[in-house]
Amino acid sequence: MPKDAITNEPLIEMVNVTKIYPPDVAALQDISLRIYKGEILFLTGMSGAGKTTLIKLACCLETPTSGRIDVAGRDLSLISPAGIQRMRQKIGVAYQDFRLLDKQTVFQNISMAMEVTYASTKAIRERVEELLTMLNLSDKRDKLTGDLSRGEQQRVALARAAANRPSLLLADEPTGNLDLTTTKLVINLFRHLNEEHGSTIVVATHDESIYAETEHRVVALSNGHLSDHPRRTPQQGELFEA
Amino acid sequence: MHFLSYILRQTGKNLRQTWGTQLLTLLTVTLSVLLFAFFFLIYTNMLNAGKRLGDEVRLIVYLDQEITEQMRPELEKKIGDFGPVDKIVFVSRNEAFARMSAQLGQEKDVLNDLDPDFLPPSIEVYPLKNLKDLSKISQFSDFLLTLPHATKVQSGSDWLRRFGHFTNLLRVVVFLSGSLLIISMTFIVSYTLRLTVLSRQSELEILKLLGATRAYIRLPLLLEGMLQGFLGSSFGLAALYLLYQSIDSHFSNPGFLKLFDFAFFPAEITAAILLASIVLCTAGSLFSIRRFIRI
Ligand SMILES: Nc1ncnc2c1ncn2[C@@H]1O[C@H](COP(=O)(O)OP(=O)(O)OP(=O)(O)O)[C@@H](O)[C@H]1O
Ligand SMILES: [Mg+2]
Repeated sequence: MPKDAITNEPLIEMVNVTKIYPPDVAALQDISLRIYKGEILFLTGMSGAGKTTLIKLACCLETPTSGRIDVAGRDLSLISPAGIQRMRQKIGVAYQDFRLLDKQTVFQNISMAMEVTYASTKAIRERVEELLTMLNLSDKRDKLTGDLSRGEQQRVALARAAANRPSLLLADEPTGNLDLTTTKLVINLFRHLNEEHGSTIVVATHDESIYAETEHRVVALSNGHLSDHPRRTPQQGELFEA
Repeated sequence: MHFLSYILRQTGKNLRQTWGTQLLTLLTVTLSVLLFAFFFLIYTNMLNAGKRLGDEVRLIVYLDQEITEQMRPELEKKIGDFGPVDKIVFVSRNEAFARMSAQLGQEKDVLNDLDPDFLPPSIEVYPLKNLKDLSKISQFSDFLLTLPHATKVQSGSDWLRRFGHFTNLLRVVVFLSGSLLIISMTFIVSYTLRLTVLSRQSELEILKLLGATRAYIRLPLLLEGMLQGFLGSSFGLAALYLLYQSIDSHFSNPGFLKLFDFAFFPAEITAAILLASIVLCTAGSLFSIRRFIRI
């Protein structure tokens, strides 16, 4: 994506954030991180490094043990429950464990995200069809998600996260079960959201193939600490070829 | 705004997911409304009948001596002091005789051989009352017996008293069936709603993650309770009305029902029962929502 689309306005600002799961698992320690509006950011790190925890903190699924998190300039700890719900409508999250409803169809699972925003039936149908085409799932539209393969479920989770054209998309391990061709579809979806709708995109992954060649910012977590990833010189990465 | 259509669609979804239980709940609500309304209808009609009969209640004090004009004001005051009286009529021996012969009409010849003085003089007391004062009537009658020259008091309230007992009993039945109504509505509706919530637990969790507002999740459940109350009471009242109609047409000749002028609820009472059912069922669902939903 064009670098100049990134603003200097942080969308997410974490200040000295520590998350300790009871009794004493320090998943994140003293993390300070700014994610700018319109940015695509890769969050990397070994298994257990704290990637999922950071994403859960950003969407209020967990609260930090200490430290402060601002999203769009608002301190998350001060937002009312109703405010959090409103905020969640603008944040798309593709969970590592998908969190789909197995007994509902692909279409139903995706449209649910738009229904809570009271979108019109027509808008929902069009958007879902569009996403299914982009992710090569059109023939699975009316299948129960429980009957799909892991890779297909993963894409349904992504489609649901992208449905509302969110201003922030948090994707936790979005390509873990995908082959190279399908991974490209996912990356294309991210790029499309980012370029067409200015969405900020955070991708937590240990799939080096998707960030190895990228010109986007990469931050690495290890054992709950943030370590600056050596910045690569912007190259025309294989996966980001226009 | 697609808000309303969403809420309604969600409600429909809920109902479909637990339709078996929903139907049973509806049946329970319907039956309890029917039961309550049935007794309540009989009770209100009894009350009305009692009121009408009560208007005609009079106490007759038979005396062993004529009351002179001069004694009347004092007696009237004495009686009036004991209890509120609509009117007091003094009947002399001659008047009593005249009345009887008038009543006998063509048969009045039988009185020819009798002394016109054979009937006792009396005081007819028309108390201001309604059926609820029945115990007062018997007190009144006891009091009248203590008047000078009184030999006997005929209150005719014996069967009225029995009627009153019956009405009291009916009041208890109405009260019990009303309590049953309240219990069945709130508890059963809230229990059904709990099933709805449990059957959709995982869906509700996801909805929460996707940013569904409180209204989006709670209103359909509240609506479900309201709908149970509305449909249940409508069916119950409709069933009672049909029952009433069929009874009314079977006994349309002069008889018990005509005597009592048996009538269905006026519109206000019907509306009140409907409204109360809706409120109760909504309260039941509110109870479940507050207990089982954390958003
Ligand atoms: N709910 C929890 N309760 C206790 N400990 C937890 C919980 N969730 C995560 N942890 C611990 O916190 C640490 C960070 O976990 P996290 O899920 O954030 O890692 P991750 O980087 O997402 O790993 P992976 O790549 O395997 O998904 C781990 O040691 C994990 O065991
Ligand atoms: Mg993880």
